[in-house]
Amino acid sequence: MQFYRNLTITQKRTVWAWGFLAVPILFYVIIRFYPTGNAMIISFQEWNLLGDRTWTGFDNYVTLVRDPVFWQVFGNTFMYLLLGTPISLVVSFVIAYHLDKVRFAHGFLRALYFLPFMTSAVAMAWVWRWFYQGVPIGLFNNALASVGIAQIEFLNSTTNALPAILAPAVWAGLGFQIIIFMAGLRAIPRSYYEAAQIDGVSSWTVLWEITLPLLRPTIVFIVVFSSIGFLRIFDHVFNMTTNNPGGPLNSTKPLVLMIYETAFASFDMGYAAAQTVVLFLVLLVVSLLQLRLLRDR
Amino acid sequence: MSHLALRNLVKVYDKTEVLHSINLDVADGEFVVLVGPSGCGKSTTLRMIAGLEEVTGGEIEIAGRVVNNLEPKDRDIAMVFQNYAIYPHMTVRKNISFGLRSSKMTKAQKDARIDEVAGILGMTDLLARKPAQLSGGQRQRVAIGRAMVRDPAVFLFDEPLSNLDAQLRQQMRLEIKKLHRRVQNTIIFVTHDQVEAMTMADRIVIMKDGHIQQVGTPAEVYHTPANSFVAQFIGAPSMNLLQGVYADGAVTLFNGVTVPMPGRAARAGLPVHLGVRPEDIRPAANGAALLSGTVSVAEPLGPETLIYVDVNGKEIIASGPGKQPPKAGDAIGLGANPADMHLFDAATGEVIA
Repeated sequence: MQFYRNLTITQKRTVWAWGFLAVPILFYVIIRFYPTGNAMIISFQEWNLLGDRTWTGFDNYVTLVRDPVFWQVFGNTFMYLLLGTPISLVVSFVIAYHLDKVRFAHGFLRALYFLPFMTSAVAMAWVWRWFYQGVPIGLFNNALASVGIAQIEFLNSTTNALPAILAPAVWAGLGFQIIIFMAGLRAIPRSYYEAAQIDGVSSWTVLWEITLPLLRPTIVFIVVFSSIGFLRIFDHVFNMTTNNPGGPLNSTKPLVLMIYETAFASFDMGYAAAQTVVLFLVLLVVSLLQLRLLRDR
Repeated sequence: MSHLALRNLVKVYDKTEVLHSINLDVADGEFVVLVGPSGCGKSTTLRMIAGLEEVTGGEIEIAGRVVNNLEPKDRDIAMVFQNYAIYPHMTVRKNISFGLRSSKMTKAQKDARIDEVAGILGMTDLLARKPAQLSGGQRQRVAIGRAMVRDPAVFLFDEPLSNLDAQLRQQMRLEIKKLHRRVQNTIIFVTHDQVEAMTMADRIVIMKDGHIQQVGTPAEVYHTPANSFVAQFIGAPSMNLLQGVYADGAVTLFNGVTVPMPGRAARAGLPVHLGVRPEDIRPAANGAALLSGTVSVAEPLGPETLIYVDVNGKEIIASGPGKQPPKAGDAIGLGANPADMHLFDAATGEVIA
């Protein structure tokens, strides 16, 4: 105690700061950084989870590059990203923009939009799976049939399956994005709009030249956040295609699902680790690119 | 050029009437300040003139047109907001040009107009900057510039100086006044600061609880206040109000002293307030003293000293000399000239002339 008492105020503060920081640092080192480092090492090894690890150099990466399934999965993953992020961004903004102006039952409506975000992805995926069934079970096909339109194979088609799975994934994330957008909209001072009203500019100009530029930080956050989400998509795909995960013909399989299968169906840990490292690099590059592109000049 | 008139203007929010039939006429080129405590309806009045609030009852006329149902952009007005409302992501030039968006000028005419306004406001070299690179006073000038490019019939200012520090506020006060002298547009300026009102206005409109208390030049409202609210609101420190009873051309004060107030039309026995401004009540020798008490605090201001005197438990503010002022704890006598005193009905607050 004598030692502590003799410290200067700055030194005492440092001791306390590091004392509190020690807990999360320890957590991150053991739970995050150690496995991450380990995965990178395993990606250069061959390991079936039980036996010895053997060094194989870049063999796993070479296999990966030559694997046509990997390239298809890589493409699928980017399809999820390139469709999901812009669609969810635009839809959530449009809803938030109008919801912000609604006074009637505002809290109730907001809760309604937020509900899917709180719902289990598994439950949601199974409900949507039912929606997509053929006549006389599926909701959508029943509706189509009742107006005389031909059946659509949603989940059994190599072209329709990916968008069909993406739809509930977008819907599930909307609630969160709407809340963030509404907070961003609320943060714009009313007087900006009043000044524009007095200047007599059109509401279109107000949207494009005042609202959207001022929402830039919100948009950056949502784009980066939802991109990471779509690049890591797994549970919707897995639950909506359980009979043949990632099917039909790998047309819906994302990278995470491939990693899961390589690791826990084929027990090829080295190969799965190599795929994980690739996913990590993709996430890193995409996030950095977005931050750079969208940063305020 | 223009003329602004408010006729029986009423504003109701959710069944609560906040503005009770206001009437006001503003002459062409006049600088009128609406002043009052918060919640008095001054900002509401301004926002109704701007068209940002709907008119519940009565009429607003600008340049001979009733504008009640016109959009803000069609009213020939421009407004400067308290937080300036200049867009942080646009350059100063872009911000100012926003005021011309709906005008039918050509690009070259607009640019020339922006340059002209920037010249008048002395910010030609700031046009390429973003608001974040500007000081508070410069941002204020951008906001004024955006209003000026429109060359409106009426300028509306909504507490534009309250975000500035004291020194800058004084400077901008002067600049706006000079600007008005130069451009000669009609200005309606809202503030809660009576010093701003006194220093800038051609005429002051003092408001309270949705009613106009008095309209007059700064000198009129200061020297001949219509009621005790105006008397206390205008001037700092506030006017002293001494309780008393009027009878036969004299007021008997709460401490028993009788002050002659000849020629006032009031009934005998009427409870009144005798108003004396601090600068009109000074230390006096015992024989000539109206009140006597003990100094509780002395505030030296340099040229004078404000003396807070405890008179029979009531605090009176008086003005003492800057040099060798009385100290706290001193027993002191105070005197005033009856000609400098104001008489108010204690019940209604109305002045008794």
